[in-house]
Amino acid sequence: MDFLQDLIATLSFILQGLWVTIGVTLLALTVGLVFGVAMAMLRVYGNRFLRQVATVYSVIVRAVPVIVIIFILYFVIARFVNLSPFLAGSLALGFASGAYQTEIFRGAFQAVPPGQMVAARAIGMSRLQAIQSIILPQAVRLALPAWGNEATLVLKDSTLVFVVGVPEIFRRAQQISARTLEPFMAFGAALLLYLILTMIATQILQWIERRYRLQM
Amino acid sequence: MKKQVVAYLLLVVALLALSACTTVQPTGQSADAPAEGGLLAEIQAAGKLVVGTSADYAPYESIDADGNFVGFDMDLIRAVGEKLGVEVEIQDMPFDSLIASVQEGKIDAVIAAMQATAERDQQVDFTIPYRMTKDAFVGAGDSTLVIEKPEDAAGISIGAQTGTVQEGWIQTALVDTGLTAADQVFSYERADQAALDVANGRIQLLLMDAEPSIALADETGLKILLITELTAEGGKSIAIPDGASDLKAELDRIIQELLDDGTVQQIQEANGLP
Repeated sequence: MDFLQDLIATLSFILQGLWVTIGVTLLALTVGLVFGVAMAMLRVYGNRFLRQVATVYSVIVRAVPVIVIIFILYFVIARFVNLSPFLAGSLALGFASGAYQTEIFRGAFQAVPPGQMVAARAIGMSRLQAIQSIILPQAVRLALPAWGNEATLVLKDSTLVFVVGVPEIFRRAQQISARTLEPFMAFGAALLLYLILTMIATQILQWIERRYRLQM
Repeated sequence: MKKQVVAYLLLVVALLALSACTTVQPTGQSADAPAEGGLLAEIQAAGKLVVGTSADYAPYESIDADGNFVGFDMDLIRAVGEKLGVEVEIQDMPFDSLIASVQEGKIDAVIAAMQATAERDQQVDFTIPYRMTKDAFVGAGDSTLVIEKPEDAAGISIGAQTGTVQEGWIQTALVDTGLTAADQVFSYERADQAALDVANGRIQLLLMDAEPSIALADETGLKILLITELTAEGGKSIAIPDGASDLKAELDRIIQELLDDGTVQQIQEANGLP
Protein backbone atom coordinates (compact mmCIF):
# COMPACT_ATOMS: atom_id res chain seq x y z
CA MET A 1 0.00 0.00 0.00
CA ASP A 2 2.88 2.28 0.91
CA PHE A 3 4.60 1.38 -2.33
CA LEU A 4 1.48 2.20 -4.30
CA GLN A 5 1.09 5.55 -2.60
CA ASP A 6 4.74 6.39 -3.31
CA LEU A 7 4.33 5.40 -6.93
CA ILE A 8 1.23 7.56 -7.31
CA ALA A 9 2.96 10.53 -5.66
CA THR A 10 6.00 10.07 -7.90
CA LEU A 11 3.89 9.69 -11.03
CA SER A 12 1.81 12.75 -10.31
CA PHE A 13 4.96 14.81 -9.80
CA ILE A 14 6.56 13.59 -13.00
CA LEU A 15 3.29 14.02 -14.90
CA GLN A 16 3.77 17.79 -14.67
CA GLY A 17 6.52 17.31 -17.24
CA LEU A 18 4.26 15.33 -19.56
CA TRP A 19 2.96 18.27 -21.57
CA VAL A 20 6.45 19.66 -21.90
CA THR A 21 7.67 16.38 -23.35
CA ILE A 22 4.67 16.16 -25.68
CA GLY A 23 5.07 19.81 -26.71
CA VAL A 24 8.78 19.50 -27.42
CA THR A 25 8.24 16.28 -29.38
CA LEU A 26 5.40 17.61 -31.53
CA LEU A 27 7.15 20.90 -32.26
CA ALA A 28 10.45 19.18 -33.08
CA LEU A 29 8.71 16.65 -35.33
CA THR A 30 6.88 19.39 -37.20
CA VAL A 31 10.00 21.49 -37.69
CA GLY A 32 11.89 18.36 -38.72
CA LEU A 33 9.14 17.43 -41.17
CA VAL A 34 9.30 20.82 -42.87
CA PHE A 35 13.12 20.69 -43.06
CA GLY A 36 13.10 17.03 -44.06
CA VAL A 37 10.62 17.30 -46.92
CA ALA A 38 12.15 20.54 -48.23
CA MET A 39 15.73 19.26 -48.09
CA ALA A 40 14.76 15.89 -49.59
CA MET A 41 13.09 17.70 -52.51
CA LEU A 42 16.23 19.76 -53.01
CA ARG A 43 18.39 16.65 -52.92
CA VAL A 44 16.29 14.80 -55.46
CA TYR A 45 14.99 17.57 -57.71
CA GLY A 46 17.24 20.56 -57.04
CA ASN A 47 20.02 21.83 -59.29
CA ARG A 48 23.67 21.13 -58.52
CA PHE A 49 24.01 23.90 -55.96
CA LEU A 50 20.79 23.17 -54.07
CA ARG A 51 21.58 19.47 -54.05
CA GLN A 52 24.91 20.29 -52.49
CA VAL A 53 23.33 22.50 -49.80
CA ALA A 54 20.87 19.79 -48.81
CA THR A 55 23.57 17.12 -48.77
CA VAL A 56 25.88 19.18 -46.58
CA TYR A 57 23.00 19.86 -44.14
CA SER A 58 22.08 16.23 -43.86
CA VAL A 59 25.63 14.91 -43.56
CA ILE A 60 26.86 17.48 -41.04
CA VAL A 61 23.81 17.53 -38.80
CA ARG A 62 23.73 13.75 -38.65
CA ALA A 63 27.40 13.72 -37.77
CA VAL A 64 26.98 16.04 -34.77
CA PRO A 65 25.44 14.78 -31.51
CA VAL A 66 21.98 16.24 -30.97
CA ILE A 67 23.00 17.63 -27.59
CA VAL A 68 25.75 19.68 -29.26
CA ILE A 69 23.27 21.09 -31.77
CA ILE A 70 20.97 22.10 -28.92
CA PHE A 71 23.84 23.84 -27.14
CA ILE A 72 24.98 25.69 -30.28
CA LEU A 73 21.46 26.81 -31.17
CA TYR A 74 20.68 27.97 -27.66
CA PHE A 75 23.93 29.67 -26.78
CA VAL A 76 25.18 30.91 -30.16
CA ILE A 77 22.17 31.62 -32.31
CA ALA A 78 19.78 32.54 -29.53
CA ARG A 79 22.21 35.27 -28.54
CA PHE A 80 20.87 37.30 -31.44
CA VAL A 81 17.23 36.22 -31.18
CA ASN A 82 15.74 35.91 -27.74
CA LEU A 83 14.22 32.43 -27.66
CA SER A 84 12.75 30.74 -24.62
CA PRO A 85 14.50 27.51 -23.60
CA PHE A 86 11.41 25.56 -24.66
CA LEU A 87 11.41 27.06 -28.16
CA ALA A 88 15.18 26.93 -28.59
CA GLY A 89 15.34 23.33 -27.43
CA SER A 90 12.45 22.23 -29.60
CA LEU A 91 13.75 24.04 -32.69
CA ALA A 92 17.22 22.58 -32.22
CA LEU A 93 15.78 19.10 -31.82
CA GLY A 94 13.66 19.70 -34.94
CA PHE A 95 16.68 20.94 -36.87
CA ALA A 96 18.53 17.75 -35.96
CA SER A 97 15.57 15.49 -36.70
CA GLY A 98 15.19 17.27 -40.06
CA ALA A 99 18.47 15.76 -41.23
CA TYR A 100 17.26 12.24 -40.50
CA GLN A 101 13.89 13.00 -42.06
CA THR A 102 15.71 14.31 -45.16
CA GLU A 103 17.13 10.84 -45.66
CA ILE A 104 13.76 9.21 -45.02
CA PHE A 105 12.01 11.38 -47.60
CA ARG A 106 14.87 11.21 -50.09
CA GLY A 107 14.46 7.45 -50.14
CA ALA A 108 10.71 7.82 -50.50
CA PHE A 109 10.98 10.31 -53.36
CA GLN A 110 13.42 8.07 -55.17
CA ALA A 111 11.16 5.07 -54.67
CA VAL A 112 8.45 6.64 -56.84
CA PRO A 113 9.17 5.35 -60.37
CA PRO A 114 10.85 8.15 -62.38
CA GLY A 115 8.56 7.39 -65.32
CA GLN A 116 5.72 9.09 -63.43
CA MET A 117 7.55 12.39 -63.48
CA VAL A 118 8.18 12.04 -67.21
CA ALA A 119 4.54 11.18 -67.80
CA ALA A 120 3.34 14.12 -65.72
CA ARG A 121 5.58 16.48 -67.66
CA ALA A 122 4.31 14.94 -70.92
CA ILE A 123 0.71 15.83 -70.14
CA GLY A 124 1.77 19.43 -69.48
CA MET A 125 2.34 19.65 -65.71
CA SER A 126 5.19 21.79 -64.41
CA ARG A 127 7.84 20.12 -62.28
CA LEU A 128 6.39 21.68 -59.16
CA GLN A 129 2.85 20.58 -60.05
CA ALA A 130 4.09 17.07 -60.72
CA ILE A 131 5.88 16.91 -57.37
CA GLN A 132 2.88 18.34 -55.58
CA SER A 133 0.13 16.17 -56.98
CA ILE A 134 1.87 13.05 -58.27
CA ILE A 135 5.09 12.40 -56.39
CA LEU A 136 4.54 13.87 -52.93
CA PRO A 137 1.29 12.02 -52.07
CA GLN A 138 2.97 8.72 -52.88
CA ALA A 139 6.28 9.57 -51.25
CA VAL A 140 4.63 10.58 -47.99
CA ARG A 141 2.88 7.23 -47.81
CA LEU A 142 6.08 5.39 -48.58
CA ALA A 143 7.92 7.38 -45.92
CA LEU A 144 5.41 6.69 -43.15
CA PRO A 145 6.89 3.51 -41.60
CA ALA A 146 10.38 4.98 -41.36
CA TRP A 147 8.96 8.31 -40.22
CA GLY A 148 7.09 6.59 -37.40
CA ASN A 149 10.38 5.19 -36.23
CA GLU A 150 11.94 8.67 -36.27
CA ALA A 151 8.94 9.98 -34.30
CA THR A 152 9.61 7.58 -31.43
CA LEU A 153 13.32 8.50 -31.52
CA VAL A 154 12.49 12.21 -31.25
CA LEU A 155 10.18 11.45 -28.33
CA LYS A 156 13.08 9.91 -26.48
CA ASP A 157 15.59 12.55 -27.62
CA SER A 158 13.29 15.16 -26.06
CA THR A 159 15.05 14.31 -22.77
CA LEU A 160 18.07 16.20 -24.13
CA VAL A 161 16.39 19.62 -24.10
CA PHE A 162 16.85 19.69 -20.36
CA VAL A 163 20.45 20.91 -20.88
CA VAL A 164 18.98 24.33 -21.61
CA GLY A 165 16.55 24.13 -18.70
CA VAL A 166 13.31 22.63 -20.01
CA PRO A 167 11.68 20.56 -17.23
CA GLU A 168 10.41 17.56 -19.17
CA ILE A 169 9.61 14.08 -17.84
CA PHE A 170 13.21 12.95 -17.36
CA ARG A 171 14.20 16.08 -15.42
CA ARG A 172 11.14 15.76 -13.21
CA ALA A 173 12.29 12.22 -12.46
CA GLN A 174 15.76 13.51 -11.57
CA GLN A 175 14.26 16.16 -9.30
CA ILE A 176 12.11 13.73 -7.39
CA SER A 177 14.90 11.17 -7.11
CA ALA A 178 17.19 13.86 -5.68
CA ARG A 179 14.53 14.65 -3.08
CA THR A 180 13.30 11.18 -2.10
CA LEU A 181 16.56 9.34 -2.87
CA GLU A 182 14.55 6.60 -4.52
CA PRO A 183 15.95 6.54 -8.04
CA PHE A 184 14.32 3.24 -9.01
CA MET A 185 10.88 4.56 -8.21
CA ALA A 186 11.52 7.87 -10.00
CA PHE A 187 13.10 6.51 -13.15
CA GLY A 188 10.76 3.53 -13.19
CA ALA A 189 7.83 5.94 -13.28
CA ALA A 190 9.52 7.88 -16.11
CA LEU A 191 10.04 4.63 -17.98
CA LEU A 192 6.35 3.82 -17.60
CA LEU A 193 5.36 7.20 -19.02
CA TYR A 194 7.71 6.93 -22.01
CA LEU A 195 6.42 3.44 -22.68
CA ILE A 196 2.82 4.65 -22.66
CA LEU A 197 3.64 7.65 -24.86
CA THR A 198 5.51 5.50 -27.37
CA MET A 199 2.69 2.97 -27.48
CA ILE A 200 0.12 5.68 -28.12
CA ALA A 201 2.28 7.27 -30.81
CA THR A 202 2.83 3.90 -32.49
CA GLN A 203 -0.91 3.17 -32.49
CA ILE A 204 -1.72 6.54 -34.07
CA LEU A 205 0.96 6.13 -36.72
CA GLN A 206 -0.21 2.61 -37.55
CA TRP A 207 -3.74 3.87 -37.93
CA ILE A 208 -2.54 6.58 -40.31
CA GLU A 209 -0.52 4.01 -42.25
CA ARG A 210 -3.56 1.75 -42.67
CA ARG A 211 -5.85 4.64 -43.50
CA TYR A 212 -3.64 6.02 -46.26
CA ARG A 213 -2.19 2.78 -47.60
CA LEU A 214 -1.50 2.84 -51.34
CA GLN A 215 -3.94 0.65 -53.24
CA MET A 216 -1.57 -0.90 -55.74
CA MET B 1 34.43 14.74 -55.52
CA LYS B 2 37.53 16.57 -54.32
CA LYS B 3 35.60 19.83 -54.31
CA GLN B 4 32.98 18.27 -52.10
CA VAL B 5 35.54 17.17 -49.55
CA VAL B 6 37.01 20.66 -49.47
CA ALA B 7 33.54 22.15 -48.98
CA TYR B 8 32.88 19.87 -46.00
CA LEU B 9 36.19 20.70 -44.41
CA LEU B 10 35.56 24.42 -44.82
CA LEU B 11 32.16 24.07 -43.19
CA VAL B 12 33.53 22.17 -40.23
CA VAL B 13 36.23 24.81 -39.77
CA ALA B 14 33.62 27.56 -39.96
CA LEU B 15 31.50 25.80 -37.32
CA LEU B 16 34.48 25.37 -35.03
CA ALA B 17 35.34 29.04 -35.43
CA LEU B 18 31.77 29.92 -34.57
CA SER B 19 31.77 27.82 -31.42
CA ALA B 20 35.20 29.15 -30.47
CA CYS B 21 33.72 32.65 -30.45
CA THR B 22 31.42 31.71 -27.62
CA THR B 23 34.08 30.36 -25.33
CA VAL B 24 36.67 33.08 -25.86
CA GLN B 25 34.30 35.96 -26.08
CA PRO B 26 33.02 36.73 -22.59
CA THR B 27 35.11 39.88 -22.21
CA GLY B 28 34.16 41.28 -25.60
CA GLN B 29 30.54 40.30 -25.21
CA SER B 30 30.14 41.76 -21.77
CA ALA B 31 30.77 45.13 -23.37
CA ASP B 32 27.54 45.04 -25.36
CA ALA B 33 25.38 43.38 -22.72
CA PRO B 34 25.51 44.63 -19.15
CA ALA B 35 28.65 46.80 -18.94
CA GLU B 36 27.41 50.28 -19.66
CA GLY B 37 25.20 50.32 -16.69
CA GLY B 38 22.32 48.37 -18.10
CA LEU B 39 21.74 45.18 -16.19
CA LEU B 40 20.54 46.50 -12.84
CA ALA B 41 18.38 49.10 -14.57
CA GLU B 42 17.11 46.44 -16.99
CA ILE B 43 16.16 44.14 -14.13
CA GLN B 44 14.39 46.92 -12.30
CA ALA B 45 12.59 48.03 -15.44
CA ALA B 46 11.44 44.47 -16.11
CA GLY B 47 10.51 44.10 -12.44
CA LYS B 48 11.95 40.61 -12.60
CA LEU B 49 15.21 38.94 -11.63
CA VAL B 50 15.74 35.70 -13.58
CA VAL B 51 17.85 33.32 -11.50
CA GLY B 52 19.26 29.98 -12.57
CA THR B 53 19.75 27.04 -10.22
CA SER B 54 20.17 23.27 -10.33
CA ALA B 55 17.32 22.09 -8.15
CA ASP B 56 18.69 18.74 -7.03
CA TYR B 57 20.75 19.81 -4.06
CA ALA B 58 18.79 19.87 -0.82
CA PRO B 59 18.84 21.72 1.53
CA TYR B 60 20.13 24.49 -0.76
CA GLU B 61 17.76 23.98 -3.65
CA SER B 62 15.24 21.35 -4.48
CA ILE B 63 11.66 21.02 -5.65
CA ASP B 64 8.93 20.02 -3.24
CA ALA B 65 6.01 17.73 -4.03
CA ASP B 66 3.95 20.68 -5.29
CA GLY B 67 6.66 21.75 -7.72
CA ASN B 68 7.85 24.77 -5.72
CA PHE B 69 11.52 25.71 -5.48
CA VAL B 70 12.54 25.37 -1.83
CA GLY B 71 15.73 25.51 0.21
CA PHE B 72 18.26 27.92 1.66
CA ASP B 73 19.34 29.46 -1.64
CA MET B 74 15.76 29.86 -2.79
CA ASP B 75 14.65 31.62 0.40
CA LEU B 76 17.74 33.83 0.27
CA ILE B 77 17.31 34.90 -3.35
CA ARG B 78 13.66 35.73 -2.68
CA ALA B 79 14.75 37.89 0.25
CA VAL B 80 17.24 39.58 -2.08
CA GLY B 81 14.51 40.11 -4.66
CA GLU B 82 12.30 41.69 -2.04
CA LYS B 83 15.06 44.16 -1.15
CA LEU B 84 15.61 44.87 -4.84
CA GLY B 85 11.90 45.43 -5.23
CA VAL B 86 11.57 42.88 -8.03
CA GLU B 87 9.95 39.52 -8.54
CA VAL B 88 12.26 36.49 -8.63
CA GLU B 89 11.83 33.97 -11.44
CA ILE B 90 13.73 30.71 -10.95
CA GLN B 91 14.99 28.63 -13.87
CA ASP B 92 16.03 25.04 -13.25
CA MET B 93 18.88 23.65 -15.38
CA PRO B 94 21.87 21.32 -15.07
CA PHE B 95 24.70 22.71 -12.95
CA ASP B 96 27.03 22.52 -15.95
CA SER B 97 24.79 24.83 -18.02
CA LEU B 98 24.54 27.59 -15.40
CA ILE B 99 27.74 29.51 -16.15
CA ALA B 100 27.14 29.45 -19.90
CA SER B 101 23.58 30.65 -19.39
CA VAL B 102 24.57 33.64 -17.28
CA GLN B 103 27.38 34.46 -19.73
CA GLU B 104 24.97 34.49 -22.62
CA GLY B 105 22.47 36.62 -20.76
CA LYS B 106 19.86 33.85 -20.61
CA ILE B 107 19.60 34.42 -16.88
CA ASP B 108 20.59 37.41 -14.73
CA ALA B 109 22.21 35.49 -11.89
CA VAL B 110 23.04 32.03 -10.56
CA ILE B 111 22.40 30.85 -7.03
CA ALA B 112 23.32 27.20 -6.69
CA ALA B 113 25.57 26.77 -3.65
CA MET B 114 28.31 27.80 -6.05
CA GLN B 115 31.81 28.72 -4.96
CA ALA B 116 33.72 31.57 -6.58
CA THR B 117 36.73 29.65 -7.89
CA ALA B 118 39.44 31.40 -9.91
CA GLU B 119 38.40 29.54 -13.07
CA ARG B 120 34.76 30.51 -12.74
CA ASP B 121 35.77 34.05 -11.85
CA GLN B 122 37.33 34.41 -15.30
CA GLN B 123 33.99 33.65 -16.91
CA VAL B 124 31.56 35.50 -14.63
CA ASP B 125 31.56 37.86 -11.67
CA PHE B 126 30.69 36.85 -8.12
CA THR B 127 29.06 38.69 -5.24
CA ILE B 128 30.53 38.57 -1.75
CA PRO B 129 30.01 35.13 -0.19
CA TYR B 130 26.69 34.67 1.58
CA ARG B 131 27.82 31.55 3.39
CA MET B 132 31.20 29.97 4.18
CA THR B 133 31.34 26.26 3.55
CA LYS B 134 33.01 23.09 4.61
CA ASP B 135 33.44 19.79 2.81
CA ALA B 136 32.75 16.28 4.01
CA PHE B 137 34.47 12.99 3.28
CA VAL B 138 31.71 10.38 3.28
CA GLY B 139 32.22 6.65 3.52
CA ALA B 140 30.06 3.55 3.75
CA GLY B 141 28.17 2.96 7.00
CA ASP B 142 30.57 0.17 8.01
CA SER B 143 33.66 1.93 6.68
CA THR B 144 36.81 1.43 8.77
CA LEU B 145 38.76 4.17 7.03
CA VAL B 146 40.32 6.79 9.28
CA ILE B 147 40.43 10.20 7.65
CA GLU B 148 41.88 12.78 10.04
CA LYS B 149 43.07 15.24 7.46
CA PRO B 150 42.25 15.60 3.74
CA GLU B 151 45.55 14.02 2.64
CA ASP B 152 44.56 10.79 4.41
CA ALA B 153 42.32 10.17 1.41
CA ALA B 154 45.41 9.47 -0.72
CA GLY B 155 45.30 6.24 -2.68
CA ILE B 156 41.67 5.48 -1.87
CA SER B 157 38.98 5.33 -4.57
CA ILE B 158 37.00 8.55 -4.36
CA GLY B 159 34.06 10.18 -6.13
CA ALA B 160 32.73 13.72 -6.56
CA GLN B 161 30.13 15.59 -8.55
CA THR B 162 31.28 16.65 -12.02
CA GLY B 163 32.49 20.22 -12.31
CA THR B 164 32.46 20.92 -8.57
CA VAL B 165 35.29 22.45 -6.54
CA GLN B 166 35.58 19.17 -4.69
CA GLU B 167 36.38 17.40 -7.94
CA GLY B 168 38.92 20.13 -8.67
CA TRP B 169 40.52 19.65 -5.27
CA ILE B 170 40.84 15.89 -5.80
CA GLN B 171 42.53 16.58 -9.13
CA THR B 172 45.05 19.15 -7.89
CA ALA B 173 45.73 17.85 -4.37
CA LEU B 174 45.55 14.10 -4.92
CA VAL B 175 45.95 13.20 -8.59
CA ASP B 176 48.39 15.86 -9.81
CA THR B 177 50.63 15.18 -6.82
CA GLY B 178 50.62 11.46 -7.55
CA LEU B 179 48.98 10.53 -4.23
CA THR B 180 45.99 8.95 -5.97
CA ALA B 181 45.91 7.26 -9.38
CA ALA B 182 43.67 8.94 -11.96
CA ASP B 183 41.64 5.75 -12.38
CA GLN B 184 40.71 5.82 -8.69
CA VAL B 185 38.78 9.03 -9.18
CA PHE B 186 35.15 8.85 -10.25
CA SER B 187 33.00 11.68 -11.49
CA TYR B 188 29.23 11.73 -11.03
CA GLU B 189 26.51 13.90 -12.50
CA ARG B 190 24.87 14.20 -9.09
CA ALA B 191 25.97 13.66 -5.49
CA ASP B 192 23.17 11.20 -4.73
CA GLN B 193 24.38 8.91 -7.51
CA ALA B 194 27.86 8.96 -5.98
CA ALA B 195 26.33 8.17 -2.58
CA LEU B 196 24.65 5.09 -4.02
CA ASP B 197 27.99 3.88 -5.34
CA VAL B 198 29.57 4.40 -1.92
CA ALA B 199 26.75 2.40 -0.34
CA ASN B 200 27.22 -0.35 -2.92
CA GLY B 201 30.97 -0.46 -2.33
CA ARG B 202 31.94 0.64 -5.85
CA ILE B 203 33.91 3.55 -4.41
CA GLN B 204 35.16 4.04 -0.86
CA LEU B 205 34.90 7.79 -0.43
CA LEU B 206 32.77 10.66 -1.60
CA LEU B 207 33.91 14.26 -1.27
CA MET B 208 31.09 16.79 -1.22
CA ASP B 209 29.69 19.88 0.48
CA ALA B 210 29.30 19.20 4.20
CA GLU B 211 25.71 20.37 4.78
CA PRO B 212 23.86 18.33 2.16
CA SER B 213 26.07 15.37 3.10
CA ILE B 214 24.44 15.19 6.52
CA ALA B 215 20.98 14.58 5.12
CA LEU B 216 22.32 12.38 2.35
CA ALA B 217 24.35 10.21 4.74
CA ASP B 218 21.33 9.97 7.01
CA GLU B 219 19.01 8.74 4.29
CA THR B 220 21.42 6.36 2.58
CA GLY B 221 23.04 4.95 5.74
CA LEU B 222 26.46 6.42 5.02
CA LYS B 223 28.98 7.70 7.57
CA ILE B 224 30.64 11.10 7.61
CA LEU B 225 34.35 10.52 8.21
CA LEU B 226 35.66 14.08 8.24
CA ILE B 227 34.35 17.60 7.94
CA THR B 228 37.03 20.01 6.81
CA GLU B 229 37.48 23.52 5.47
CA LEU B 230 39.82 22.50 2.70
CA THR B 231 37.96 24.32 -0.06
CA ALA B 232 36.35 26.93 2.12
CA GLU B 233 38.41 29.82 0.89
CA GLY B 234 35.63 31.08 -1.38
CA GLY B 235 32.36 30.45 0.32
CA LYS B 236 29.12 30.39 -1.63
CA SER B 237 28.36 33.35 -3.85
CA ILE B 238 25.84 34.50 -6.41
CA ALA B 239 27.24 34.52 -9.97
CA ILE B 240 26.33 37.38 -12.30
CA PRO B 241 27.47 38.31 -15.83
CA ASP B 242 31.06 39.47 -16.21
CA GLY B 243 31.29 43.24 -15.91
CA ALA B 244 27.83 43.84 -14.42
CA SER B 245 29.35 46.13 -11.80
CA ASP B 246 26.15 47.98 -10.94
CA LEU B 247 24.33 44.73 -10.18
CA LYS B 248 27.30 43.42 -8.19
CA ALA B 249 27.44 46.55 -6.03
CA GLU B 250 23.73 46.39 -5.31
CA LEU B 251 23.73 42.64 -4.55
CA ASP B 252 26.82 42.95 -2.35
CA ARG B 253 25.09 45.69 -0.38
CA ILE B 254 21.90 43.66 0.03
CA ILE B 255 23.76 40.46 1.02
CA GLN B 256 25.78 42.36 3.64
CA GLU B 257 22.54 43.84 4.95
CA LEU B 258 20.90 40.41 5.17
CA LEU B 259 23.97 38.99 6.90
CA ASP B 260 24.04 41.86 9.39
CA ASP B 261 20.38 41.90 10.33
CA GLY B 262 20.32 38.15 10.94
CA THR B 263 18.06 37.25 8.02
CA VAL B 264 20.63 34.82 6.59
CA GLN B 265 20.98 33.17 9.99
CA GLN B 266 17.21 32.84 10.22
CA ILE B 267 16.95 31.31 6.74
CA GLN B 268 19.77 28.88 7.56
CA GLU B 269 17.99 27.65 10.65
CA ALA B 270 14.67 27.38 8.85
CA ASN B 271 16.35 25.07 6.32
CA GLY B 272 18.12 22.95 8.92
CA LEU B 273 21.61 24.26 8.20
CA PRO B 274 24.11 24.60 11.07
